[in-house]
Amino acid sequence: MARLVGGCGTSHVPSIGIAIDRGMTGTPDWKPFFDGYVPARAWMAERRPDIAVVIFNDHGNAFFLDRVPTLALGVAEEYQMIDEGWGPRPLPPFPGAADFAWHLADRLVEDHFDPLICREIEVDHGLQVPMELFFGRPDRWPVRVVPIFVNTIQYPIPTPERMWQLGLALRRAIDAWPTEERIVVLGTGGLSHQLQGSRAGFLNREADQRWLAEIGPHPERYRAMSREDYVETFGSEGAELIMWLVMRAAMDAEVRTVMRHYHAPASMTGAGMVVLENAA
Amino acid sequence: MHTLAETPLYDREANRRGYELNRMAMSLRDPANRAAFAADEPAYLDRFHLSEPQRRAVLARDWREMIRLGGNLFYILKISALDPIPLTAIGAAQAGMPHDAFLADRLGKRPARSAEGQAHG
Repeated sequence: MARLVGGCGTSHVPSIGIAIDRGMTGTPDWKPFFDGYVPARAWMAERRPDIAVVIFNDHGNAFFLDRVPTLALGVAEEYQMIDEGWGPRPLPPFPGAADFAWHLADRLVEDHFDPLICREIEVDHGLQVPMELFFGRPDRWPVRVVPIFVNTIQYPIPTPERMWQLGLALRRAIDAWPTEERIVVLGTGGLSHQLQGSRAGFLNREADQRWLAEIGPHPERYRAMSREDYVETFGSEGAELIMWLVMRAAMDAEVRTVMRHYHAPASMTGAGMVVLENAA
Repeated sequence: MHTLAETPLYDREANRRGYELNRMAMSLRDPANRAAFAADEPAYLDRFHLSEPQRRAVLARDWREMIRLGGNLFYILKISALDPIPLTAIGAAQAGMPHDAFLADRLGKRPARSAEGQAHG
């Protein structure tokens, strides 16, 4: 069976990608942020995953409000960069793990999840930025991806408990995949930020730090929180953090927090990262 | 869903009010539409069924008003690609604060660095 080599959580703030594009990773504003990912890339290179399952939200790019899938799964052979309004970013296309993705589609539906199955779809910064942070800017990506898109923009968004159940189903699919492939799961989004309304600019550094410390050893309270709790604690866009629960639930109950990193603000966001390994 | 007063969520009511505004903004993902918008904004907006207040808010780049009229940040942000403005300035406008004060008070950034905004996000 395939092997789950780790679970990672990270912010996917678009200005991180812009900073890389403009060669600004060494500026005083950005250096402390990017320095924190150096050991994460070393960890990833050492774990050598064959497949990265990336849970993220599209930001009004691949999907408009004319049709909003609560959950969508990519089964494509390749994913191109989408034009978010500034032109597509200069990244190599992501090769898709179509075989595992179709297996995941089968297993999710058998587990009573019903995602939109996407044979052709482009990806925005929600997937791009986490891949750049953990894999750098190679000429060719050393890993194939499976994107899972979660609606976090139009209400009703899914509940934290549903995200947890999705993570359990993802793990069952990984355990049932009859290859020797090595799989890593990336949960993305957050941490605290609010971009809209008069509460715009809301940050909660204390809650962010607690999240990074507790998501490994004590995830239960985050699973039990309501969507309203997420919006109040982490800001309206900070509710994206529910997507980390998919990653966390895919891991064993007992995990080691191998590393974590926090920097605020990146643009308007508390930016955080965590790397987890199963304890056993 | 219970919501905080200062925290608009994109729910069915926002969708009802803002769908056409967001549809206009979404159209700017297409380079040809961006060129048409840049060439003649009022004529481009005529292609969509915006309310008069929505139309005025777009032309004035009144970010707070666009959100109030049902715009969602991830869509209306595409307007800013035509007319670059840091995301933090859009945030400041919604908070009703000067940009420097917003950076310092809300985000905890020192004013000396406030000039270094990113055009996108």
